[in-house]
Amino acid sequence: MGLQLESAEGSDVELLHAVAGGDEAALARLYDAYRVILFGLLVRILNSREEAEDILQDVFIQVWRRAKDYDEKRGRPFTWLVTLARSRAIDRLRQLGARQRLATGAAQEHTETVSDALTDTIRVAQRETVRQALAELPEEQRNTLVLAYFEGLTQSEIAAKLNAPLGTIKTRMRSGLIKLRALLGKQLENFG
Amino acid sequence: MTHEDYKELLAAKALSALDAADARALNTHLEGCADCQSEMVELADTATLLAFQAEPLEPSTSLRERILASVRNEVRAEFRSDRVSPEVSQRDGNLLAFERPPRNIWSSLGSFGALAATFAFIALIIALAILWQKNRTTQSELARLKAEMKQTQAQLDYEHAMAELLTSPDGHMAKLAGTNVAPGAHAMLAYDKSGHAMLMAKGLPSAPEGMAYQLWYIKDNKKMPGKVFTPDAAGMGTLEDQIPAVARDAAVFAITLEPKGGVKVPTGSIYLLSSS
Repeated sequence: MGLQLESAEGSDVELLHAVAGGDEAALARLYDAYRVILFGLLVRILNSREEAEDILQDVFIQVWRRAKDYDEKRGRPFTWLVTLARSRAIDRLRQLGARQRLATGAAQEHTETVSDALTDTIRVAQRETVRQALAELPEEQRNTLVLAYFEGLTQSEIAAKLNAPLGTIKTRMRSGLIKLRALLGKQLENFG
Repeated sequence: MTHEDYKELLAAKALSALDAADARALNTHLEGCADCQSEMVELADTATLLAFQAEPLEPSTSLRERILASVRNEVRAEFRSDRVSPEVSQRDGNLLAFERPPRNIWSSLGSFGALAATFAFIALIIALAILWQKNRTTQSELARLKAEMKQTQAQLDYEHAMAELLTSPDGHMAKLAGTNVAPGAHAMLAYDKSGHAMLMAKGLPSAPEGMAYQLWYIKDNKKMPGKVFTPDAAGMGTLEDQIPAVARDAAVFAITLEPKGGVKVPTGSIYLLSSS
C-alpha cells in the first residue's frame, strides 16, 4: 500500500521557492500542509500548547525569512521544516529546564486531535507505519532514539540518565536509526 | 579519527545528540566528505520520520492569521524602509533645509503635552470603538465556531473510522485522480475484504441543482453503481458504501456527475478515476 503525501515533495520545493520570492499564499499553503504534524511534534517536546504555538509561529516566520537558504540537495522540504521546528523546540526546552520535562502528559489532556480530511487520513496511516517500524526495534534502541529526538538529550546525557556506558548508547543509537531506515525502506520516499 | 569513526557519528548528528566536541570534529569532516554527506542526508530523513511518532494536533485557528499578519508587517516594514531611503537621499542631496529657530523648552513641553493628550484621547476613542465592535461580533463568532466545531467533530469521526479501515490487516486504498473536467479534484477510497468502503473526495466542483456525484465500481468493463453524494461548499464529499463482491479485487473506481437519485448506468462525465 503506497503512502503518498498529498503535498508532494516536488510541489513543496516549488512552494519554498515561491516563499523565497515573497509569496505569502505559498507560505499559507505550507502552513496548511504541515501545521498538524509540526504542532503535534512541538507539543510532544514541550508539553505545552502555548509554548508550542509560540514556536510554531516562530518557525513559519523563519521559513518566510530563510526560504531562500533552503537547498534541496541537502534534504527534503519536510526534513528542513521538521528540523527547524525541532531544533527551536529543543532550544526552548533547554531554556525552560527540567520542570517542563516533568509535566509529561499535562498538555495532552487539553489537546484536540486533528482533522484535515484526506491529507491527515494519509498521515494517520504514515504514523502507523512509523510506529510499527519503531515497534520492531529492540526496546533499548527505541528508547535511545526517543530520548534523543523528543527530549533533546545528547548521547552523554542519555548514558547518564540510563546509567549505561557511553559506548553502549552510541551503538544503540546508530544501530537503531540504521535499522529504522532499513525497515521503512522504500516508503521513505513517500513521506513528505 | 578515521573515516569509519566519523561514519559512526552520523546517526547521532541526525538526532542532534552529539556531544559538542564530536559535533565540531564531524562538521569539519563533513565539509570535505561526499560519502558522509550523502549518508547524513539519508539518516536525517529517517530521523525526521520520528516526528510521526508524536500525536498529530491542531493548533488554534487564530495562529495561521497571526503568522500571516507578522509576515505582512515585515513586508510593510521593508517596503517603508525601501521607500524612505531614496527620499532621504534626495532631500539631503538636492534641497537645503530651512534653519529652524531655536525653541523655548517650556513651549516645547506645552505642545508635547497637548499632542500627548490628543493621542491619548484618540487612543481612547479607538479602544472604545474596538470594544464595541468586538462585543457585537462575539455572538455571531460564537455561533460560527459552534457550527465549525460540530462539523470538525463529524469530519474527525469519519477520518478516524477511515484510518482504522485503512490500517486494518486487510485494508486497501485506491487513489482517484481528477480527470480533465475536474483537474483539481482527488479522492481516496479505503476498503476491506468484506467490501466495506469509505470514500473521501476533495476539490470537486459543486454539483448543479438536481445533480449529485455517483461512485462506480468497474470490473471487466462492467459498471456497477455505488451510492451518490453531494460535496460541501469547500468541494469535500464523503461516502460509505458496500463494494459488490465481484468488484473487490482489481476493480477500477470512478465518480461521475448524475441525477440526484443516482442511475443504474453512468450517463455523465467522469470527474474522478482510479488507476486499474
